[in-house]
Amino acid sequence: MFHSETRIFKTSYAADMALFPLPIARWAMAGLAFVFVVVVPLVASPYLMTLLNLVLIAVVGAIGLDILVGYTGLISIGAGGFMSVGAYTAANLVVRLGLPFWVAIPAGGLMAALVGIVVGIPSLRIKGIYLAVATLASQFIIEWLINHVTWISGGIEASIQVPPPVVFGYKLVTPQQLYFFLLFFAVVAIVATLNLVRSRIGRAFIAIRDQDIAAEIIGINIFRYKLYAFAISSFYAGVTGVLYTYYLGIANYEQFGIDVSINYLAMIIIGGLGSVQGAVFGAAFITLLPEATRLFLTDFGGAVFSQDTIRQLVPNLTLILFGGLIIFFLIVEPEGLNRLWRNIRNYFRLWPFSY
Amino acid sequence: MTPKFARPLALSLGAAIAITAAWAAQAADKTILIGMQCDRTGATQVVGTKLCPGTHDLIDLINSQGGVDGWKIDAEEVDNAYQVPPAIEEYAHAKQEGAVGIMIYGTPQTGALNQRLEQDKMPGTSPGFGIAASAAGKYFPYLFPIAANYWSQGAAAVKFAKDQLGGSLQGKKIAYIFYDNPAGHEPLPVIQALAKTEGFELQTFAVPPPGVDVSSQTLAIAQQYRPDFVIDHTFGKAPALVIKGLKENGYSLNKVVALVWASGEADIMGAGGWGVAQGYNTMQFAGAGENYPVIKAIQAMYQKKGQSPPAAMQATVYYNRGVEQGAVWVEAIRNALKLSHGQKPTPSQVKAGFEMIRDYTLGGLMPPLTITAADHEGGGWVRIFRVTGEHLDPATPWFRAYRNMVVDKEDKTAEQVTAKSN
Amino acid sequence: MLPMPDLPWRFIAILLANGVLVGAMYALVALGFVLIYKATDAINFAQGEFVMFAGFLAAAAIHLAGLPWWVSALLTIAAMIAFAFGLERVVLRPLLGRPIIAVIMATIGLAAVLRGAATLAFGGGTQTIPLPISDSPLLLGPLILPPIKLVGAVVSLGFLAAFGWFFLKSRIGVAMRAVADSQQVAMAMGINVRRYFALAWALAGIVSALGGVLWGSMLGVDNQLALVGLKVFPVMILGGLDSIVGAVVGGLIVGVVESLSAGFLDPLVGGGTKDIVPFLLMIAVLMVRPEGIFGRRRIERV
Repeated sequence: MFHSETRIFKTSYAADMALFPLPIARWAMAGLAFVFVVVVPLVASPYLMTLLNLVLIAVVGAIGLDILVGYTGLISIGAGGFMSVGAYTAANLVVRLGLPFWVAIPAGGLMAALVGIVVGIPSLRIKGIYLAVATLASQFIIEWLINHVTWISGGIEASIQVPPPVVFGYKLVTPQQLYFFLLFFAVVAIVATLNLVRSRIGRAFIAIRDQDIAAEIIGINIFRYKLYAFAISSFYAGVTGVLYTYYLGIANYEQFGIDVSINYLAMIIIGGLGSVQGAVFGAAFITLLPEATRLFLTDFGGAVFSQDTIRQLVPNLTLILFGGLIIFFLIVEPEGLNRLWRNIRNYFRLWPFSY
Repeated sequence: MTPKFARPLALSLGAAIAITAAWAAQAADKTILIGMQCDRTGATQVVGTKLCPGTHDLIDLINSQGGVDGWKIDAEEVDNAYQVPPAIEEYAHAKQEGAVGIMIYGTPQTGALNQRLEQDKMPGTSPGFGIAASAAGKYFPYLFPIAANYWSQGAAAVKFAKDQLGGSLQGKKIAYIFYDNPAGHEPLPVIQALAKTEGFELQTFAVPPPGVDVSSQTLAIAQQYRPDFVIDHTFGKAPALVIKGLKENGYSLNKVVALVWASGEADIMGAGGWGVAQGYNTMQFAGAGENYPVIKAIQAMYQKKGQSPPAAMQATVYYNRGVEQGAVWVEAIRNALKLSHGQKPTPSQVKAGFEMIRDYTLGGLMPPLTITAADHEGGGWVRIFRVTGEHLDPATPWFRAYRNMVVDKEDKTAEQVTAKSN
Repeated sequence: MLPMPDLPWRFIAILLANGVLVGAMYALVALGFVLIYKATDAINFAQGEFVMFAGFLAAAAIHLAGLPWWVSALLTIAAMIAFAFGLERVVLRPLLGRPIIAVIMATIGLAAVLRGAATLAFGGGTQTIPLPISDSPLLLGPLILPPIKLVGAVVSLGFLAAFGWFFLKSRIGVAMRAVADSQQVAMAMGINVRRYFALAWALAGIVSALGGVLWGSMLGVDNQLALVGLKVFPVMILGGLDSIVGAVVGGLIVGVVESLSAGFLDPLVGGGTKDIVPFLLMIAVLMVRPEGIFGRRRIERV
């Protein structure tokens, strides 16, 4: 948040390492919490709520992928596959055994983590492009299995309808109700990850990313930590899949295709690799981009183009913007939206002495 | 980048909010809004870029004639790129804008919107795709396939093969080549059941997505299995390649019938043009070709405006399906306006409006569509058009087959599916 | 029921022949990928979109400009060279020395831009590239061969051979290999490394143009044509990322394996296996020999 760091002195390392290094950050957090828990649900329309909900789900997935790609430096183009694993695990548990959401969500995550380990083991010897392609292959293989094993997919239509989650006896149905449900999990994901990356495991991840052989020499068991990264990241992806399933009321692997895996990669690239905040920004940005383009062009494009042209223009322009922005950020601002944010914040940081 | 970007950033944020506000304010006076989804960039772009202009043109035509009882209709299109999240976003937006219903695009999207439609009591249409069981209106009250679903199509294909093979399938061999995804699997149970009752042998040939090469499958059909008839239920690029592959291997296209998404002009062009595809049998739920009063009227509308009709119109199969989609909505709204006595109808009234459609043919472009509270499929009619010369000529009248069996399956499956999720 | 005296041997022969032909054409697409990787270490995830874009250009030259097919093909090659050249300059060069994910994502972004731009420029329909090749199949003994595939395979193999010779024998080719081996050493020997980077992209442009014309005339041109690019991954991993011979062998293996699995495995499992089997094979190879069949083992230094 915007704040000034003047007049603050840290007297211990613990203070420097704290999650909220500045007293004002706590106030900022309280403010944020107030906005998201009280103000937004009161003010936002159901449509805005729907957009926010999709952003919240994407936040969980993007943070998870960032742990693997941004923090550990392992490339994965298979996030969508793990999301379907989570989705079908939860859907089967909910529909066949009637289990509640608080079992289904961690179970979906754990199953995805398990599959992540299975994919991770053969992938440990390889990296870079080889790993990217291996994860791509895992996505296709998972899709194939779900498509053909009706025991998993619940029938040849490969879609399982799931009842809405029940919290304290209330069925969560409206965008408003689901907003709180999803907000809870997004916040848990954010806090858990912020703590994870400060921990021993998180630092090992970063060491592996920066120079894996050097990391091994200083005593980090690369094999183990790479597997951790795979498992944790897949857990998040699995949870994302379950959240989607609850949100949509249906588990269907076609919702988690290769496009989705690429979208999530785009989120963390545009947001800024290796930063939780960046992943949140990226998730919001990529989720809102198509709607923003459409609203902009339908409202302001009418002066220049005919309706028919606009209908053709909007989706293709969105696609071009999507690709163009990825390239733009990679070349011009590799640290992504997060860096832009920090620049703004740093301006205020030493305020009023910012020169 | 430097903080000097902060200002433009804030400005654009402000602009975005202003846009949203402007959007909300433009709720026009005598307009009925329908949410409309399309895919112009994703996997089914070839269909979307032809089908959606058809819907818009039909609605423009109605509006240019004064609308429905004085009400203008507005179909607000958005591209979902065949992905689910944009479909949800658009649905929520359309609902907020006061849409009376939604034209869904895509099978996964139909699945994802189904429960929302029911909660919000909003009617949605999924012509020729979506959930086959949703034909059972009792269990899927707000979802309207409005055209033959995959089960009806599969049954009709078997019936067509039977007629072409002299009235009996006893001891005959039929090959089913299908896109290996859920939608591709869907007709299979019906065809398998018919294989038992009609006594034919069935072998399946899967085309895994993305289906850019089907040469080994067509080889296996034409060179190895040598069936008496082929049912083709593929999507995307695959139908063109199936036509080409079977032809190259000397299999007669007279003995191939394609289900509705393998039946477009694009598939014939992709296979190498009309010359290659002679005799190919295409299944349609809206008539192909230009010889329908409504198409002529649209052409006249463009002529009056001094414009040439859109290029999409030449792809008559998909374009006409778009016209059909628009026309059925207009008809439902017309009925709904009777219920609302000329006031703006509610989504529930439009739902009821759909269920009041009786024997609606749109001058021969459509089968005699009758939608009731029990049957949201509208009868499950199809018609076979055969590639003859440079166009698609009707080879059968509108027909449907094994109706009892299909309806029975729809009801049973719908009951099971809905029982589990509640 | 038909008697089956001459089957399935004849069937197997047909499947094999078909696999070889298709595989040779996969190899052509993979070649574009290998050329770039070999010379610049960059990974082009937009290879399929390159092929699609070239297909659109060729179709436009034939239908919109009314040019004969061979002029269109030459124009497409020229345009793709210019395009690849410009791309290297604008997008890839600023990313030199950056982590591998940067290049992967940049080319994924590029793929999206190309798909959007192609639809805007050329429309959403399927376009054809009519080549003067007969539709009726050739009968060679027991085999039935579609002429377009035969031509495609011959052209592909011809070009693969030409590129192989070029890399091994020609002066420019030797310089390119030197650059690929070690950029620093090559620079020290007075080789203008950047020029050879641009050259590698230009060559990839030529290959994409050929792929676009051949695949486009076989499948029809629309944005789905880009999916051919997905086939490249098992091909090049199997063969080895930096080997032209590997691209050929990998292409042939994938083509044949696909063909056979569709012919024999599919009926057993009741589903389409031809796209999954090459990936399974690829993973098996990765576990045993991560550098592929013909790839070079890399030694890492801290």
